[in-house]
Amino acid sequence: MRVLKYPRPVEMIVLVNAIGFGLLFFYKKPYDYFILIAGLSVILLVGFGYFAIRKAKLGDGYLFLISGMLSSIGIIMLYRLDRELGFKQIVWFGISIAAFFASYFLYRRYQVWERLTCYYPAISLFLFVATLLFGRSINGAKNWIFIGKFSIQPSECIKIIFVFFIAAFFNKYKEEFKELTALRFKKEDIKLYILMSGAYMHLGLMVIQKEWGTALLLFLVYFMLVYVLINNRLFMLINAGMASLGGIGGILFVSHIKVRVDTWLNPWKDIAGKGYQITQSLFAIGSGGFFGTGIGLGRPDFIPEVNTDFIFSAICEEMGIFGGVAIVLLYFILAYRGFKIALYTVENFTKTLALGLTLLFGFQTFIIVGGVIKLIPLTGITLPFISYGGSSLIVSFIALGILQAISAGPAAYVTRKEKLDGESK
Amino acid sequence: MENQNKRITHVMVLICFLFLCIVVYLTYFEVFVKDKILTSSYNRRQWEQEDTTLRGSILDRNGVVLAKSTMDENKQERIYPYGSLYSQVIGYNSKAYGKSLMELYYNNELLNIREYSSIFNFKEKLSGELKTGNNLYLTIDHKLQEKAEQLLRGKNGAVVAMRPKTGEILAMVSKPDFDPSSTKLAQNWEELIKSKDSPFLPRATQGLYVPGSTFKVLTAAAAVENGMEDRTFDDKGSITIDGKIFNNFNSHVYGNLDLKSALAVSSNVAFAQIGSELGEKVLKEIAVRVGMNREIPFDIPLNSSRFPYESMGKTDLAAVGMGQGKLLVTPLHMAMIASGIGNNGIIMKPYLVDRVVSSSDITQKSVKPDKFSQIMSPETAQKVKDMMQYVVETGTGKGAAIKGVKIAGKTGTAENELSSKQKNKEHAWFICFAPVDDPQVAVAVVLEYSGSTGGALAAPIARDLMRQVLGK
Repeated sequence: MRVLKYPRPVEMIVLVNAIGFGLLFFYKKPYDYFILIAGLSVILLVGFGYFAIRKAKLGDGYLFLISGMLSSIGIIMLYRLDRELGFKQIVWFGISIAAFFASYFLYRRYQVWERLTCYYPAISLFLFVATLLFGRSINGAKNWIFIGKFSIQPSECIKIIFVFFIAAFFNKYKEEFKELTALRFKKEDIKLYILMSGAYMHLGLMVIQKEWGTALLLFLVYFMLVYVLINNRLFMLINAGMASLGGIGGILFVSHIKVRVDTWLNPWKDIAGKGYQITQSLFAIGSGGFFGTGIGLGRPDFIPEVNTDFIFSAICEEMGIFGGVAIVLLYFILAYRGFKIALYTVENFTKTLALGLTLLFGFQTFIIVGGVIKLIPLTGITLPFISYGGSSLIVSFIALGILQAISAGPAAYVTRKEKLDGESK
Repeated sequence: MENQNKRITHVMVLICFLFLCIVVYLTYFEVFVKDKILTSSYNRRQWEQEDTTLRGSILDRNGVVLAKSTMDENKQERIYPYGSLYSQVIGYNSKAYGKSLMELYYNNELLNIREYSSIFNFKEKLSGELKTGNNLYLTIDHKLQEKAEQLLRGKNGAVVAMRPKTGEILAMVSKPDFDPSSTKLAQNWEELIKSKDSPFLPRATQGLYVPGSTFKVLTAAAAVENGMEDRTFDDKGSITIDGKIFNNFNSHVYGNLDLKSALAVSSNVAFAQIGSELGEKVLKEIAVRVGMNREIPFDIPLNSSRFPYESMGKTDLAAVGMGQGKLLVTPLHMAMIASGIGNNGIIMKPYLVDRVVSSSDITQKSVKPDKFSQIMSPETAQKVKDMMQYVVETGTGKGAAIKGVKIAGKTGTAENELSSKQKNKEHAWFICFAPVDDPQVAVAVVLEYSGSTGGALAAPIARDLMRQVLGK
């Protein structure tokens, strides 16, 4: 009688993959049996990850499922757009799951993370310099390093390092920050300014690499963490002031940012040129309607950069606005699980880390989805778990692995949740 | 710690709010925005649709094909059998240059695209079968359209003929025009967009002209409504109002005039005086009543006629009374006003598309005549009719007279931005309807910068069209 009960989440993922890849299989003649193999391997990968987490009791049971669902939809879409890319993404997905478990165990095995405060910015700088020296530019931003046949994007790693840095710094000076109810403009404030310059250094690195989207993302994460951890109005005001100064300066003096804002306000003015990307994205979303054209029946190939930045528009075209909203809701429950983990964690460093990583997912989704639907100016960053790209996918799963490790509440850290669970029993 | 958790919840609420913004915006976009943008020529999907759907034909009221598509080795071609004749009504449909007018605004009908067609046409889409779009039957009478084009050939301007009782457009010609076929467009595009004559401007619906003396029919109606019917005027050829001199055409002196003969000879002196006496409120009110400063629903874009005054001095009132000043009207709107007077004070909604018929001959949509607005009482309309009939019988509109038919009309010779600098650059106007007692047709003719009077140039064109409609 199990059939009549609510399906378990993992069964829904299996169902989505079966339907998605099944449709792709029947869509084109001659039948490509490889599609079935691809679908099966995605199901096996998600299934393996899920049962490993369940059997070994590795913490939160939903994080992996939600991201597994998102990645499945991403792979189906990529497979539909370009068979070869879809296959590559499945390989990346396999590697990502390995990275997920690796980061889970590494994070728990070594308890050094909160002590590396000064090393994080150093690593970021090192990665940055390496990119400058060995990097090659793709689409105008010099942010790729080629190692043999593979290319990696160091800025993706810098996102996680950035969160580690802030968490470690706060943890180190938590006593001092606790007493800081008002800025005194004295020697004691110096820690704050060190934090600030550390954070802005990371932002600066992104700006130099012309990764405006990531810079904005890092600022938002930083700003929210400052709000939660320091809660000093004046300090927040200073940060907000500097950010708006930087933003306005960017709009006025950096032609690239000015163009982004202009095309956001009116993309129809230069529809063949600067407004081309965003208008094509809007055409795609509009022609999908509420229910979508159906997988394989739309023309998302008309959208530029559809595999990476604009994949949300392709999903909206073929799966409809309802499909798009479902994706957004999946991200929301992912963020919700993350917030819950942050709330239940007691230890200072881990709490900040959990919150920071969650915000990374949340804001990144908002920035890119909001960008492609023209809610906010477009800045090119990837959609976590869905966009094509090894770096992006692996880094997302590493961040998720760390979140998973925190949720498991290692022996050293007693989580409030377990305490509560214990009491209620 | 507790406070920290509280602030974490704040951040969670913020993220929740941001995601909600996305959902709301997507829904808003879907419901209110997308219909406006999807027809852009840069949206290649609509051509995609065109490759799997044979675009519907456009026919006149008697079934004469005005535009059709043929499929040849998967390449679809749009054919306009009458070349430039319908370029300002049907427009063009070209991959390179997009769509315009009826081809644009009825695109979904012509391709049979509906919101849920992606679900219902699932089978065809999968199997790649060729679908056929819907056909449009217009209210246009092809014979009359051809006649109107002949009469207007070589001049710049517009002609509109419509049925006063229903609002059906029988003929609508704007000149200059262009050949809308894709190959001809590609050949002539540069020349067409650079041309100072703006051949892409559909003058009948989007051209804005000073109405000149044709507007006097409305001043006369307002005069009747305000008890000035029995007034007489002493016309000395010119009148000074608030220090400004208003002259008759060629400063002709008409002497003693009543309202009827003032309209018949189109006396500026009399109507400047009426305008200034009626006052701002009355003139503004009648202008809005007939549809100026208002959107008039129509099948292709129709400019609003303009009455752009915030407040009016005596000289403004006098100028508006005789149809000058800052007034601007479209030729179609003048035809509607003539229709309204002929139809006992009721203007019908104008329309071009009579019905949409599917490829299997099932009517999908058909239009019923509908009232647009009551512009004056039947009694007032009757009095204005009599005056307009007098214009054609004895006054400036003699050129429109047809033996054995009672015709009501009004001429106009409108001063404009060019005529104030050069001689002989006035617009020639004529509006009319016939027969007076049972109007079958109303016509508006405007000839740009014609250099002659409405009575001499425009009235004969209207006469020939009416003759064809009435079979005289």
